[in-house]
Amino acid sequence: MDFYKDHYDVIVIGGALAGLSAALMLADKGKDVLVLERHNLPGGIATSFVRGGIEIEAALHEMMSIGDKDNRLKVGKFFDDMGVDIDWLKVPECYHAALPGLEVTLHPGLETFAHEVDAVVPGTYDKVLRLLNLCNTVFDSVNELSIHPMSKPMMLLKHEAFVKTAGYSTQEVLDTFDLPQKALDLLAPYWIYVGTGFRELPFTIYSVLMADYVGYGSFIPRKFSHEMSLKMAERAEAMGVQIEYRQHVDKILVRDGKAYGVRTARGDEIHADYVICSAYPNKVYTDMIEPADAVPAGAIKMVNGRRLSLTAFSVILILDKTAEELGIRDYSVFHGTTMDTDACYDELKGLGPYHYITCICHNLANPDATPEGTCSYSITTLPRPDGWKTVSADDYDRVKHDVAKQLIDTMSEYLGVDLLEHVLEIVIETPMTIAHYTGMWNGCIYGYAHTMEDHIIARLQTAEAEHFIDHLEFSGAHQISGDGMGPAVTNGRKAAKNVLDTMAKEAN
Amino acid sequence: MKVKGFLKDVGGASRVTKARLAAFENASAAPVRLDPIGAVAREWHPGKLDLVVTDVRPASRTTTTVRFERPDGGKLPPFYAGQFMVVDFPIGESLLSRPYSISSAPYQARLAEHAFVEITVRRSKGDGLICDYINDAVKVGDTFRGMIGCGQFYYEPLRDAKHVVALAGGVGITPFASMAREIANGTLDFDLTILYGSVSSDDITLRNELEQLHSDRLHIVHVLSGDEPDWPGERGFLTAELIKKYSAPDTTYFICGPQVMYQFLREELKKLDIPQRRVRFEVFGQAKDITAFEGFPQENRDKTFQLTVMRGLHKDVIPAMATESLVVALERAGIRIETGCRSGECGFCRTKVLAGNVYICPENDGRRAADRDFGYVHACAAYPQSDVTIKIPIE
Repeated sequence: MDFYKDHYDVIVIGGALAGLSAALMLADKGKDVLVLERHNLPGGIATSFVRGGIEIEAALHEMMSIGDKDNRLKVGKFFDDMGVDIDWLKVPECYHAALPGLEVTLHPGLETFAHEVDAVVPGTYDKVLRLLNLCNTVFDSVNELSIHPMSKPMMLLKHEAFVKTAGYSTQEVLDTFDLPQKALDLLAPYWIYVGTGFRELPFTIYSVLMADYVGYGSFIPRKFSHEMSLKMAERAEAMGVQIEYRQHVDKILVRDGKAYGVRTARGDEIHADYVICSAYPNKVYTDMIEPADAVPAGAIKMVNGRRLSLTAFSVILILDKTAEELGIRDYSVFHGTTMDTDACYDELKGLGPYHYITCICHNLANPDATPEGTCSYSITTLPRPDGWKTVSADDYDRVKHDVAKQLIDTMSEYLGVDLLEHVLEIVIETPMTIAHYTGMWNGCIYGYAHTMEDHIIARLQTAEAEHFIDHLEFSGAHQISGDGMGPAVTNGRKAAKNVLDTMAKEAN
Repeated sequence: MKVKGFLKDVGGASRVTKARLAAFENASAAPVRLDPIGAVAREWHPGKLDLVVTDVRPASRTTTTVRFERPDGGKLPPFYAGQFMVVDFPIGESLLSRPYSISSAPYQARLAEHAFVEITVRRSKGDGLICDYINDAVKVGDTFRGMIGCGQFYYEPLRDAKHVVALAGGVGITPFASMAREIANGTLDFDLTILYGSVSSDDITLRNELEQLHSDRLHIVHVLSGDEPDWPGERGFLTAELIKKYSAPDTTYFICGPQVMYQFLREELKKLDIPQRRVRFEVFGQAKDITAFEGFPQENRDKTFQLTVMRGLHKDVIPAMATESLVVALERAGIRIETGCRSGECGFCRTKVLAGNVYICPENDGRRAADRDFGYVHACAAYPQSDVTIKIPIE
């Protein structure tokens, strides 16, 4: 039957944030785009579901790179430019750090944040602010250079801090500030949002993380991340993009080193000039390219040479008391027994107990998130896939419940309330849940680990050489900007830009 | 490494790039296809499977149990006791899907040989095409497609009390039969008392099979509503008084039965002042008579509208009655749509309404807020009230 056109300019595999961003940008430039999404709704993990009549956020903690309405950052501006009108709610704080001997709530604004750290660790204001300003300078450079590449001498002239910190890990740069341990502990909790311990994490990434979140705060859509995903999809369709749900792409068709279409699980062969793919390169290069010998050895070496970053495990509770009644005071709490991020990262290799935990209470940024008299409380750890790879289908339910119980017990003890006595609904999301709904390789939502061997600057510099199949672009957490819902948008735009650039080049 | 002098270093970018190239140079060129996490996800949720009927037997005077296995007898997906499966029935030109609670136990789906699942279905009193089909026409050797392990009606140890009172009516015993078998097998850990309402003692579904499972952890109390002078057990309906008699101080109540029983039990449970978190209703099922619900436009009750169906760029136009759900109209016309619970909850049949009006069954509106804003419906709970255009996935 005539479900599809004979030909599209671009086929986008995956209708999550990256794929939809790519589709929006291409449609905005008048391109004819088909999006194929395996699930029956857009967004990937940027979604929600309904349990017992209550809508529940699936994944989003805090959206970065949005900014206030009059001071938009790049992702917020992109949505505005594309006509994707999202009802953003500002998250009130950066986070509450619940660490041994430290109970501190820190708020956005570089100076505010530095003052609040200084209030706990007196005498650190100047150093902390200098660090945050350095982060901010590097952040500005990253944003500018990602749009306007320039020569090395020019870069050194205009982006000195960026250039001079490029070769160093977060730990190495933090050490030069000679801050007391307590202050360092308060500057570390966000590490989990980029997913590598400070010994390995490029300072460039730490800079972007801190400058964006601390400098500008974070946001959530009022009607959960499904509002964002759906509004992107609706806008894309209004701009002429064809989106088809429940279409699983099995193969990417390649001829003479160039992608020319896809084949779906139901057997449709669909042709296009370009393919943008959200599946992991690991999956694509080992299983999806047809013919398989169109994959050069370099592509396999590349995926084998990279380390998968984090997956996720969340217990989401709908509780039969309000946040206030339960003593939950902050939207976002980072709870840990140490702020040694390398030790935390190491622990994530296993199957628990997990000690570095992120808790979100939506009602504290969105009072109407759940029915009156109730609240939602999600408890999240972001494990590495290693431990979860050893779990069999028969062990899965036991492991899942053991880990969920440990997380709930840890937070019950912290709050001084037995959360298990208040559970209206419970949803346990695991790496397998993610793999089930999104097909992401080994359930990994964070792409490849940000390390000194897989540095964002190196990713930028080698991008062209790592482009193994013509007219095939990738979008998603496995691309240059890495993990997170904000970076997903940036990754999608980058893929679309590559397509547009190639189109322009080949037209000449 | 302690670095004091980084501010003089301009070679960082080159250094990290060299490190990257070296890491790739040293990596293996052998493809690694291992995705064990994805493999576990697929083992639990493989989607629709080919299933063959290996046994058909009466479960009472008016009910039949059907056993399904894989064609090779291999393991079936794990599921939770209480969940349902969706079975596709090719009938004439139509392909109809129906959800049925699984009456066998999860451990039986994981047996090394001849792993199986069973459903137990009551012959209808004239309103259930498929129920009659199962009771009359299904035979050993028939093959179907089925999806195992759907729905939220199962015991969750991190939420539910250690003592469960199941309130079952008629063929609503099936999810509890699954739980009872799993408890008897030692692989589900709670005490279960089933208060089981039937009309007459000679038509109690799965009676013999369940009574063999009686133990310290598992009690089955038959409650007869019909007039039987010699019946030694409980009589009447599942009243608050009766429920209280069999409850422990901390009890979770699971309820599954016909829609009239839900209305009755909601009132009875109110009398007992039970916390909301201790009461779990199985989904309502497709409304028997949509015109009985508040707000249904009565003036349309006899009308048939035009339903325009977009699948990709392909367009079909089919008739659709105001009193039947979009799903029923699609299935009758032989247009495939994925369905799960058929109760508006699971969202498998999420559909975009591009034009026209639909009535949403108020008992069965499990939509996301943003979906409501943009005209998405769950097609099993949406009834056309004008000519309507929808877009559904290509199956």
